[in-house]
Order: sequence, then C-alpha cells, then structure tokens
Amino acid sequence: MAEPLIAIEHVEKVYRRDALEIPVLNDVNLEILQGEFVSLMGPSGSGKTTLLNLIAGIDQPTRGRIVIGGKDIARIGQSELARWRSRTVGFIFQLYNLLPVLTAFENVELPLLLTPLKRAERRRHVETALKIVSLEDRMDHYPRQLSGGQEQRVAIARAIVSDPAILVADEPTGDLDAKSAEEILVLLNRLNAEFGKTIVMVTHDPKAAARAHRMVHLDKGVLHADEQTEAGAARKA
Amino acid sequence: MKFFNLVWRNVFRKKTRTVLTTGSIVLVLVLIVVLTCLLQAMEQDPSGNRGSNRLVVQHATGLANFLPLSQRQRIEQIPGVVAVSPQIWFGGVYRDDKPENFFGQLSCDPEIFFTKLFDDATIDPAIEKEFRATQNSFVAGQSLVNKFHWKKGEHIMLRGTYIPVTLDLVFVGAYRSGDESNAFFHNEYLNQAKWFGANRVTGIYYLKVADAADLPRVTSTIDKMFENSDAPTKTLTEKQFQASFMEMMGNIKGLIRWISLIILFAVTLIVANTVAMSARERVTEISVMRTLGFRPGHILGFILSEAVLMSLLGGLLGVVLAKYLFVPGMVKGMATTPMAPFLINFKVTGSVLLAAFLISVGVGVLAGFVPAIRSSRIRIVDGLRQVV
Ligand SMILES: Nc1ncnc2c1ncn2[C@@H]1O[C@H](COP(=O)(O)OP(=O)(O)OP(=O)(O)O)[C@@H](O)[C@H]1O
Ligand SMILES: [Mg+2]
Repeated sequence: MAEPLIAIEHVEKVYRRDALEIPVLNDVNLEILQGEFVSLMGPSGSGKTTLLNLIAGIDQPTRGRIVIGGKDIARIGQSELARWRSRTVGFIFQLYNLLPVLTAFENVELPLLLTPLKRAERRRHVETALKIVSLEDRMDHYPRQLSGGQEQRVAIARAIVSDPAILVADEPTGDLDAKSAEEILVLLNRLNAEFGKTIVMVTHDPKAAARAHRMVHLDKGVLHADEQTEAGAARKA
Repeated sequence: MKFFNLVWRNVFRKKTRTVLTTGSIVLVLVLIVVLTCLLQAMEQDPSGNRGSNRLVVQHATGLANFLPLSQRQRIEQIPGVVAVSPQIWFGGVYRDDKPENFFGQLSCDPEIFFTKLFDDATIDPAIEKEFRATQNSFVAGQSLVNKFHWKKGEHIMLRGTYIPVTLDLVFVGAYRSGDESNAFFHNEYLNQAKWFGANRVTGIYYLKVADAADLPRVTSTIDKMFENSDAPTKTLTEKQFQASFMEMMGNIKGLIRWISLIILFAVTLIVANTVAMSARERVTEISVMRTLGFRPGHILGFILSEAVLMSLLGGLLGVVLAKYLFVPGMVKGMATTPMAPFLINFKVTGSVLLAAFLISVGVGVLAGFVPAIRSSRIRIVDGLRQVV
C-alpha cells in the first residue's frame, strides 16, 4: 500500500482555560493518501475544527505525531511551521475570510507576497487561479461587491494560488445557498480529480460529505466509523 | 515595498476615523512647528551681524527710569564708540486705545540715526535728508506704513501717556529693515513740547561700537562710569535688550516646551487608540494572514507601519500648512507688534522640518507598538474562533 501523505498517530489535544483542562481529541489515528478527498463529520463541539487545524499546521497537538509528507509537523518551531504552511496547505473557511480592503486579485495575490516571485509572475499565477474558479472577470471587485458563492471561490483561488498539495476546508458550504454550495463542491471535486489536490473537508451536510471518497466521523474527540462513499468506490474501481 | 499597498489600504480602512486622527496630528504639528520657529526666531539676533555691535544703555533699575542727558557726552568719549543717540519710548496713543493701533514710537537724533546707528535699515537718501531737515517729521517701517496707509505729508496725532504732551507729526517716508514696526521722530521736537524732562533726560542711549570685540569693554566702562552716580546704568547688547523686552511676557519658552510635550503626548494617545481599535477589529483577518504563512514579525511590521504612515501623513500636512499658510500669515499679522524685531528670523528652517519628521515617526512608533505587539501575539486558533 502507498505511503500516506498525512499520517495522524495517537494524537491528543487538550485545551487549557485557566486551571481547567478541556480534552478535545482523544487518541486520534488517521491516514490520508495522496490525492484522497476525505470528509470529516460529527456533532458540534466534537473537535472537527481542532483536528483540521492540526492537519493544517495552525495548531499543534498536546501528544502524538502528525506526519505530513514525511515531516512531523507536531514537533517543528513556529516560524518553520509558518513557512511549511504557506507552501503545503491551502485553507478554506466557512466565512470565506477575505480581506475587505483588498480586491479579489489582491486577496488571491496575498500568499504569493511571501514568495520571491516577481510582480509579473505573481500576476500570472493569480490570473490562473482566478480562471480555475471562473472569476477572471471579477478581479478588481472588492469582497463586498461579490456574492457569498463568489467570495468563497475567490477564497479557493487564494488557497490554490501557491499550488499546495493539501487543501483543508472547514464547512466551506455552511453559509451558502444550495446552488452556490453545489458550485463549490463541484469545484473541490475538480481540484481533487484534475489537479490532484488532497482535500480534507469538514461538513455537517451528508450530501456534501458524500462528494468525498471517504467519510470519517468524530464524536466527543474520538474518531469513529470510516466509511467509503460511492464516489470512493467508483475511484477504486 | 510590495506590502505597502496592504498597509496603505488598512490605514484608510475606516476613512472618517483616519481623517479625524490624522487631522489631530496635523493640528498638533502646525502648533509645534509654529511655536518652535517662533522660539528659534526669538533666540536669534534679529539684525544679523550688523546689529551685534550695538548697545542699549538703560537705567540700572529698568526702563521706567530716565537717564540724564549729561551722560551722552561722556559715553561718546569712550574709545571705540562710533555714535550715540538718546531715545525716548513715547508710548503714545494713536487714534484710540485699541491694541491694534499701538506701535513703537521712538525719538532719536536724526543727524546720526540712519547713517551711523541703524545702518542695517534701508532708506531712500532723499527721505533721510528730508527727515533730518524737518523737525516735526517722522519716518516709519514699511510694514507699519502699509498697515496705516500713511501718505507723504500726512499728519498724525500721538497723545502721550506718561509724557503728558500731544505730538503732531508729519510723515515723510518709509524705511525697510528686519524690524519695520517702529516710527522715529526728532528728540528736538519732543523737547520743544516742554514736558517736565525736556532737554534734561532720556529713556535710553542707543549706541554703536566700531568693533564687536569692543563690546565687553565698552559695556563695563559705561556701567562702571555711572555706578556711583544718581543714575546708575545697565548696558545690554541690542539682542539682550530685545530679549529682556520679551521676558516681560514671563518664562514663555519653558512654558511653550511643556505645552508642546503635553499635546504631543495627547496626540500619541489619540493615534494609539485609533491603531488599537483598528487592530482589534481585525483579529480574524490577522489570524487568516497568519494561516496563509505570514509570521508574527510581519504582523508587527504591518501594524507599526500603519501607525507611522498615518502619523507621517498628518505630520507632512501639518508642516506644509505651517510653512505655507500659518507662518507667513503670522508674519504678516505681527509685523507691527512688539514681536516685529524677531519676525525676520521667523521661518520654517531645515532643522525644524527634520524635527517635525522625527516627531511624526516617534508618535507613530509610540502609538503603534503596543497594538502591534499584541496583534502579533494572537494565537491563530483563538483569532479564528474570535475569542480574543
Ligand atoms: N482555542 C480553544 N480554546 C479552548 N477551547 C477550545 C478551543 N478551540 C476549541 N475548543 C473547544 O474544543 C471543543 C471542540 O471544538 P471544535 O471547534 O474543534 O469543534 P467542532 O467539531 O469544529 O464544532 P462545530 O461543528 O461547532 O464547528 C469545543 O468544546 C470547544 O469549546
Ligand atoms: Mg468547527
């Protein structure tokens, strides 16, 4: 069997609020292969966002290992982690989280400002990313001039502009109407199939979850049943 | 530099707030630039190098007391003294008691006044000649003439205050100099008026020495000469004399410095508040940027740059307004006041510009660093959950 791209081993996460210890994740083990599309489900407060944040390297576990592409990101320092994030992970949020003072173009360009790319090269990358999400004609619009679905597509362009191997999405359709949600899901499927992105998506919506190859369930910090979806079965075949 | 756009946009995120904050910096910088230039002007010799070898002899107890005219001859005999003119500050009322109609009225010895003493003034030789020849005439600084629109041949009445006579003077012409706030008339004309001190006393002696190096010697010779007489003297350089005139306003300099510091502190707090508010509204955005790979140092730099940029914009506008609007306006407005001697040096100098620049940067850094550090320390997960 192929080496997993993401290997989560015996991960525990405990939050501390003053003297209080809140255990959020409890001995979580999960392997995700390169090119897989996994959806993460579970009741509110079960620790989905927490697990996603650990995979994305914006938080670190209390115990356990998170090996991504051969690197244990649970052990590396903050600035190295920041650099690793900008190269490896694209993040998609429920509320899009675009910077309101920047245009669509500038929002997508933002991650590239951390690279040594020249202005013209950045422009090329941004235009490509916006083309993938079909918003090349909205480059100069500010977020407030876009619909929710369009904002989320700009956010996806921002997530893919530096060509990361992994996309993590935290309820990316949670705030959208059915039609826009469908567009986003189609887009994610395409990024997975056509561009080979490994995707981990948190969702409450079983229909959305079914778009993935595999669904995993979290309950009170414990990872449960791991079921293959029809899409996953079709992929294997 | 590629981050400048981001910083710039964030400065103008809330336009009204930024305009109000920047406005307060503008006002403070105008105030500080104007006050600093005024202080600088008052510390400089208004007539440049030429004035530096002139002395003023006054009564040891102050300007309120007269000196006997008999002293003139003895002062004139001191080696190094070129010319001596007794002068009386008439302090008369022109038109009415309104302060804007007040101006300096000084008697002088017209024979030597413009030729040997007040030689940094420029006066048409024909006017100077006519002034000497006409006992009831007066000349006045150009600014003063412009203010009152005096025409040649026009008569003015000056009603004495502590000298109980009224003078009827005829205007012959204007002189130009760094200080154009005074009018000069003949000592003899005042004597004709038969006041109690006529031909007996004077207010001060205005004198010039040949060489600035002689100043200390001449000064001490004069004061020693009359030390034990009925009218002991106190001799000052022209600059000291003008400064002592200003001191009547109290220790204005120290006060100005303190006020400047306090308003700077106040404006720093205003800017700090604006930056802190703006940073707090952006906790999520900042966390999103951190998620994208921006490091705490980037965030610190951005917030600090926003504060400095805002404060520099205000500072720049303040300096421009001070230099091209306020200072020229004040120079015009004070041309005929007792401040007039200092106006020639009242301008926005390079060192003041540099100071204004440093002050602006300083205000920005001071105001920005607490919010900047705080923003850079936000934990990403907390920021995304908006629990900070
Ligand atoms: N930074 C934090 N500090 C303290 N407690 C936290 C923190 N983040 C999460 N928690 C706690 O951990 C638990 C799991 O939170 P998490 O956000 O991962 O849940 P979730 O499954 O994403 O829920 P939802 O579906 O509502 O988004 C919750 O009880 C939450 O209060
Ligand atoms: Mg969540």
